[in-house]
Amino acid sequence: MKRLYRLAGVCAILLGGVAAASAAPAPQTGTVKSLLEKDAVCTTCHDASSPKKIFSIYLTRHGNRADSRAPGCQNCHGQSDTHIKDPGTAPDVVFTAASKHKSPADDRNASCLGCHESKVLPRANWTGSQHQARGVACTDCHNIHVPDQKVLNKATQADVCFTCHKAQRAQTRRISSHPLAVSGLGTTAKMACSDCHNPHGSTGPTLLVKNTVNETCAQCHAEKRGPFLWEHAPVVDSCVNCHTPHGSANAPLLKTRVPWLCQDCHSGDHGNQVNSAANLNGGTVTTVNGQQMPGAAAPRAQAGARACLNCHVLIHGSNHPAGAKFQR
Amino acid sequence: MNTHTNGFTKAVWETAGRAALIALALAAGARTAAAQTAQEATAPIRTVEVGGTDVSDGAYKAGEYNGLQNKGGLAIGHFDLRGGAAYDTDSALRWRIKGADLGLDTRSLSGEVGAQGVFRLNFGFDQLRRNRSDSYQTPLQGAGSNILTLPGGWQVPTVAGSTATNNVVNVLSVRGLVSAIGTSRYLNTQTTSPTFTGLLTPTASQISSVNSASLVDVPTFQNYNLFTTRTKFDAAFDYSFDPRWGVSGEFRPEHKDGVKPMGTVSRSTGGDISTILPDVIDTNTYQTDLRLNFRGAKGFAQAAYYGSIFTNNVPFMQWQNWATGPTVTGAANLGTGVVNTMSSTPGNQFHQVSGSGGVTFSPTTKLVVNGSVARNTQNDSFLTDSTTPVVPVSSLNGLVVNESFNAKFNAKPAKRLTVTAGYKYDNRDNRTAIHIFQYADAGEAATANANFVAGPNNPLGAVLAQNANANRAYSKKTNQANGEADFALPSRQWLKGTYEYERNNRDCYSSWISCADAAITNEHSLRGEYRATPTDELTFRVGYTYAARRTPSYNENAFLALVPYANVSPATATGGMTAYAFMTASGWNGWGPALPYAVTTGNANVFFPNNNALPNAMYANNNRISELPGMRRYYVADRDRNKVRTSATWQATNELSFQGNVDYNKDHYADAIYGLQDTNTWAANVEGMYAVATDLSLSVFYTYEDLTAGSAGNTYTTNSNAATLAGALATTVGLSGNSCDGFTTLLQRNNNNKLDPCLNWFTDRIDKVNSVGVTLMGKEVWDTKLDLNGNFIVTRARSDNNVTGGNWANNLLIGPGSAPTTTAAFFIGATALPTVSTDTYELRVNGRYAVTSTQALHLAYTYMRMTSADWAYEGMQFGSMSGVLPSNEQPFNYSVHVFGVSYVLSF
Repeated sequence: MKRLYRLAGVCAILLGGVAAASAAPAPQTGTVKSLLEKDAVCTTCHDASSPKKIFSIYLTRHGNRADSRAPGCQNCHGQSDTHIKDPGTAPDVVFTAASKHKSPADDRNASCLGCHESKVLPRANWTGSQHQARGVACTDCHNIHVPDQKVLNKATQADVCFTCHKAQRAQTRRISSHPLAVSGLGTTAKMACSDCHNPHGSTGPTLLVKNTVNETCAQCHAEKRGPFLWEHAPVVDSCVNCHTPHGSANAPLLKTRVPWLCQDCHSGDHGNQVNSAANLNGGTVTTVNGQQMPGAAAPRAQAGARACLNCHVLIHGSNHPAGAKFQR
Repeated sequence: MNTHTNGFTKAVWETAGRAALIALALAAGARTAAAQTAQEATAPIRTVEVGGTDVSDGAYKAGEYNGLQNKGGLAIGHFDLRGGAAYDTDSALRWRIKGADLGLDTRSLSGEVGAQGVFRLNFGFDQLRRNRSDSYQTPLQGAGSNILTLPGGWQVPTVAGSTATNNVVNVLSVRGLVSAIGTSRYLNTQTTSPTFTGLLTPTASQISSVNSASLVDVPTFQNYNLFTTRTKFDAAFDYSFDPRWGVSGEFRPEHKDGVKPMGTVSRSTGGDISTILPDVIDTNTYQTDLRLNFRGAKGFAQAAYYGSIFTNNVPFMQWQNWATGPTVTGAANLGTGVVNTMSSTPGNQFHQVSGSGGVTFSPTTKLVVNGSVARNTQNDSFLTDSTTPVVPVSSLNGLVVNESFNAKFNAKPAKRLTVTAGYKYDNRDNRTAIHIFQYADAGEAATANANFVAGPNNPLGAVLAQNANANRAYSKKTNQANGEADFALPSRQWLKGTYEYERNNRDCYSSWISCADAAITNEHSLRGEYRATPTDELTFRVGYTYAARRTPSYNENAFLALVPYANVSPATATGGMTAYAFMTASGWNGWGPALPYAVTTGNANVFFPNNNALPNAMYANNNRISELPGMRRYYVADRDRNKVRTSATWQATNELSFQGNVDYNKDHYADAIYGLQDTNTWAANVEGMYAVATDLSLSVFYTYEDLTAGSAGNTYTTNSNAATLAGALATTVGLSGNSCDGFTTLLQRNNNNKLDPCLNWFTDRIDKVNSVGVTLMGKEVWDTKLDLNGNFIVTRARSDNNVTGGNWANNLLIGPGSAPTTTAAFFIGATALPTVSTDTYELRVNGRYAVTSTQALHLAYTYMRMTSADWAYEGMQFGSMSGVLPSNEQPFNYSVHVFGVSYVLSF
């Protein structure tokens, strides 16, 4: 906590200084004035009292007129000459208006990519990405006119993604999951989808933010990165060989339950044993038709409790000279 | 379930109440809402929220990630402050500082200041507590540190039992902590006893030992709550020299501490025992990003560095072995106390430089390339003890070089046709040196291996311990190429076809033979998709993927890379023959020939005696690490994959809309006789949304997911020519329940222990999960003063495992003099496991009532409930498994109400 207080203090001083410096009204030069005059073509009708909060765009990065890169209304919506002459017609590019035909996704995206293709925050891998190829438009996720976009807020981002990815929404509610779901009092979700995925396209599989699954997971789980003296082949191959990251009925985020997950690959030594209800307390193996004595009738340690992980716990890799079996 | 109470409940509520009253008094003269001006509409809104909350009951699982794990009161604190220049001025300077959940263990703080287009500074703090268990118990003292000791009076738990030489002893078993188990009648196994195989009643001395340990040990099991906390900081900057050139960077240190459960194994008693330790976590991760950016009208480029340094402050875990010490009062024959150690995960570093660039040749023709090289190193000192007599190096000096290259080309050669071609290369090149480590298992005394003595046939020298294993430095190289064509049909329809080829090469650096089960895998994928938007109100999509992965040559002997002594001739072999050479010449894997018992001679008798599997000792290992013939590890096995994806969206009216989709996946591993055979997944989602009014909406969803996985195994044992069991006459004993094979005598079965069809088993695992949710969202309802949102989500999960097959169990009561008709062995059929179930309910209601235009009251209520049943927890309880120290953890069951009230000030 001490570090938190120190950090907060430094930040407060920094921000206080900035706030004081910015309190004095800055003058308006010709450039800003000229940009606002261009906007006025639209804001004359779509003014601050408009039911749709058009003006809130000035609270966003896109509306920061002192930044010469920030777009004006017509940069995104098109010149819309017809609409200006006849407000009953649609502007050139319609993003979300329910009363008018929405423009094709490519046209809507072209408005954004005019800047974001290369000049401002380049979306390097958007073209050809899964989202682009399936006709997803930028404005399907982004609400440009509001200062707090749901998709840019950790607490609400997942809701935007779950609009399409409904199976993942359900998976985050399982007994084992990453902290993607908002729970309790509406406490901020501690992870966002974008911690692992880049929806704008990436060099990794399934839009992961890194080149590989393992590089992505190691951002938070660096302790599993290794290299270890004793490596487990499927682990270095891909974390998702065993784990399903959005949520599972089998903790910890396993595709299926141990010991069977292990037995899907291991059939030697005690890995070849059959484990069933007959191995549980009172099962027919532990009593052997009633002939084993209670003192000796223990269930198999490879099936109960943590199953294989009762012993082979360092399954992601061991650095002990005697850890070849991932148990030291 | 333990109750966790916050001590400052009263103070929190008092403070919150006072704050609310003062706020309401101030609100009396506040202005009312008026028509918004441009200045008002563009003025940033700052908010501060303070209040309190009450949690009805302590439950770690309910508060797993949300900070509400304790019963009692907690403070609510959020703020969001922002400011800077107005949009219509020449200054682009803006700032924001934000805090959330300040009263909880999940608090976060962030800030940002910048002149847009010129510079930006960010900072952040985020705390994430993850609760793991509030029912874990251990007798070990010192939990929270890495040195764990048994209570001074600890007695080794035993049950009354018998050995081959003494039928009145106490034998190690933690089941003896339940007295009724430890003192029950037991089987006489003393071979010289006249009542061999008979049942014995414990003597007073035996009972005394059992009860003494039980009485002393059970009360020493104390609760220790297990949780971990991540504390993250971040600081970032972004600076633009001009519109084209800029630099940015971020530094993210993270500290993680706490305690989580960890299984361990000890072998000091002659058998394996397990202890679930409270494992101490105390680690740091430092991540750094630096980027140099170029942005132009026709293209962009970036050079970047990413670094991640992980350090672990816990060098090892050490604990006293519950089966040996510290005192031996309970069982005088079990030796003295032993201290065991376990390595902690080593620190490592990852440094990556990367470059990317893109060129837009024309509005429809683009090329993007990315490339990176990274060094991943690890060199922490090894933890050693007397069980590791041969440690050739003191640390790994591990090095993995990761290379990646990615290129993507997009073009639109015709008005309706878009094509994409991509190539991706990834190489995890593990260049870590290979060494042979000779060791015994945990707690086991290292002894010389007589099979591999020093001599001319053993250039590596004598094996000085039970295991002589070589590390395997796994490498993987991926080449992937794909092409896609998207054709726009008339009437807003699209047809897309994709072909993808992926080749993976796997190997180990300087391993004596290939370590890869599948040195090469090739996968060809074909995808087709049709999507349409026939009207503005309706869109749908259907897609199908077929992928075939093939392994040209699956190597069932790749496991030998671990055991280099398979390439050394053992003392008993002739002609310098090695296990590997003999297997290669025979065309067998470690399981050996598919033959029943036979007398073998010469080298066949050395390596596959009586047609049995290759003895572990012939490759200097304690365990059989070979697999069944036909076992295919699913992540590299031949696989046929079929996927279907469908989805539809229908805006029925302006107010009513529906979405739905069905996904189906099927993976089939045709060549796998053993191991995973098939996985099938299908999921259906339906959602309806209804806009009751402009600012009030209702949505309902239902999701069903069904996952099945089937795998096969075989519990083969060793062929033998034994016709008798415990001295019973061969011709007089039979088998019971053996409808799966044709064997009628013990001899027949024993001759075919490797081949007995009774020993095949199959598991059919099924997870079925139903989720239903209702969400209500209202904004500025009830005279525009109330924001209301709520949701109710129910998840019902059921996991079944239908196991078929079974195993043999010998009749423990058979022995010399048993009646001729006595059954020698029973076939015990496998039975389906109990259903594992989890039902989760969560109701959340949030209402924010605007008292004035600047002040609001926020009321929140949450109900969280979980009921679960899981047979795995049986194994954690007193009286369950003999060699696993109970942790007495319980399945998650909770019912928690949370109330919150807070005052929100906007300005």
